[in-house]
Amino acid sequence: MALLDEADVLAPLPRVGPHFIDALERSGLFGRGGASFPTGTKWRAVTQRSRGDAVVVVNGSEGEPQSKKDRVLMSKRPHLILDGAFIAARVLRARRIVLYIGDRHIAARDSMLGALAQRTEPERGMVSLAAAPSRYVAGAESAAIHFINSGVATPTTVPPYPFELATLVQNVETLAHIAVLARTGAIPGTVLLTVAGGVSRQGVIEVATGTTIAEAITHAGGPIEVPRAVLVGGYFGRWMENDEAWRLPVACESGLGCGVVGILPVSRCPVCDVAAIMRYLAGESSAQCGPCFFGLRALAEGCTRIASQGSNPADLRRLQRWAVDVRGRGACKHPDGAAIFLSSALTVFAREFEQHRSDHRLRQIA
Amino acid sequence: MSTSLLSYTTRGAGAVSLVLLSAVVILGILSTQRVQGPLWPRFLTTGLHRNLALMTIVFLALHIVTAVVDPYTNLGWAAALIPFSSYYRTFWLGLGVVSFELFLAIVVTSLLRGYLGHRTWRVIHWLTYAAWPIGVVHGLGTGTDTLSAWMLAITLACIAGVAIALVWRVSSGSSDPLADARASFRREAR
Repeated sequence: MALLDEADVLAPLPRVGPHFIDALERSGLFGRGGASFPTGTKWRAVTQRSRGDAVVVVNGSEGEPQSKKDRVLMSKRPHLILDGAFIAARVLRARRIVLYIGDRHIAARDSMLGALAQRTEPERGMVSLAAAPSRYVAGAESAAIHFINSGVATPTTVPPYPFELATLVQNVETLAHIAVLARTGAIPGTVLLTVAGGVSRQGVIEVATGTTIAEAITHAGGPIEVPRAVLVGGYFGRWMENDEAWRLPVACESGLGCGVVGILPVSRCPVCDVAAIMRYLAGESSAQCGPCFFGLRALAEGCTRIASQGSNPADLRRLQRWAVDVRGRGACKHPDGAAIFLSSALTVFAREFEQHRSDHRLRQIA
Repeated sequence: MSTSLLSYTTRGAGAVSLVLLSAVVILGILSTQRVQGPLWPRFLTTGLHRNLALMTIVFLALHIVTAVVDPYTNLGWAAALIPFSSYYRTFWLGLGVVSFELFLAIVVTSLLRGYLGHRTWRVIHWLTYAAWPIGVVHGLGTGTDTLSAWMLAITLACIAGVAIALVWRVSSGSSDPLADARASFRREAR
């Protein structure tokens, strides 16, 4: 496969000009940070506003707890990512490149800095490093920019979106795809997935676009026991019934988010796991907006009451209602992501949520 | 218009302005404390705060215009616009001009808050704590009715109202329910 299995060679950058954005738009490449935003559209917006002062943010913050693919890619293909960043800087006429790498991703950071030290292009002088705080929302575009500008990784209100202010925030995997496009004239047509939970070989795999989730799970050695459901897109994604998930093709419109595919084995309790994840997401609110801070906490408490004291109709009704009410009421999409995650859980695990017993042991997710 | 009617209007509008301005200040303080109850939703505090402030402008305009056009006073427009330029009670009347202009600055910057940004607006809004007491002292110093029992009662009630609200606000500290959580997130996310 084009990204993970090839050697990370240091070679002169291909010549690129403004027409590269046409190729990028034609390629149909979409962002791999989670939002699946069309990359060409973003570049077009940045280049229209750049007066030689654009900023390229290489987003390797990877704050999603179940995702590993950005770290793996930074460790294995640092030059390819730097190629993408340098190409972006040339095409978009940038004056600054910021490597925004999660502060716990030490190996990935060292790999990137090691590769950077070998570079001789003028863009090398534009590069600075920013250690992204290991908080869930720190990877959001506006949080990355807020951190770089003000030292605090809290999301800010959009619009204006960063790309409307001549700032390109691009996930490291997306940059790698861009580099391949510039070198070969075609995007690799692959997607990096992190396979988590009940599979034989947990970790990062690269699959061709259009591969089904079932085939991807087979690449990861298959499930270790009968799966109960599949979490597609990580904590920002949604739960799916096995059958629906197996058929799902790996593609932009499939809502794969950051590419996490989590397999929940039947031996685990979905209610307890969902409650633990909701507590985590509530704790990751940056406490800027009331509906997010209080709403997610109330949702987490409702889930936890059901998990620890047994199901009750009042909490179930409240969860159903609040999981819809809280959406769209934060400055960023953190509450929306958590609410959609919970809504999908309440649908897929409806039976478990209704029948959960108080003597059920409260289990923490690993 | 008869001189006495103009004079009564000046005094009446001055008294009403004092009451309204005090109410605006009290409501402003209440809004920072997120006061609410079953019959008093939170938007009522901010809505009243804003609308009463705009209404105060009307009464202050009435107060000033009637004072200037009153031929008996012979103040002239300059005295109404330039602080401490009046021949008549230079100091006390000058305080009224200062108070009015500070208040005008507060209202105009509030209307333009979206363009100014929150921080700038907030700094200018602190001028309230100068505009209100200066206005009260202006009334005490130059008011025709100051020593009449009813005006004295109104003035004291206004002072007491704002003082109680202020003491309560200072003693109850920050009411932002997210303040602690936000501060701790900000400490960790850097």
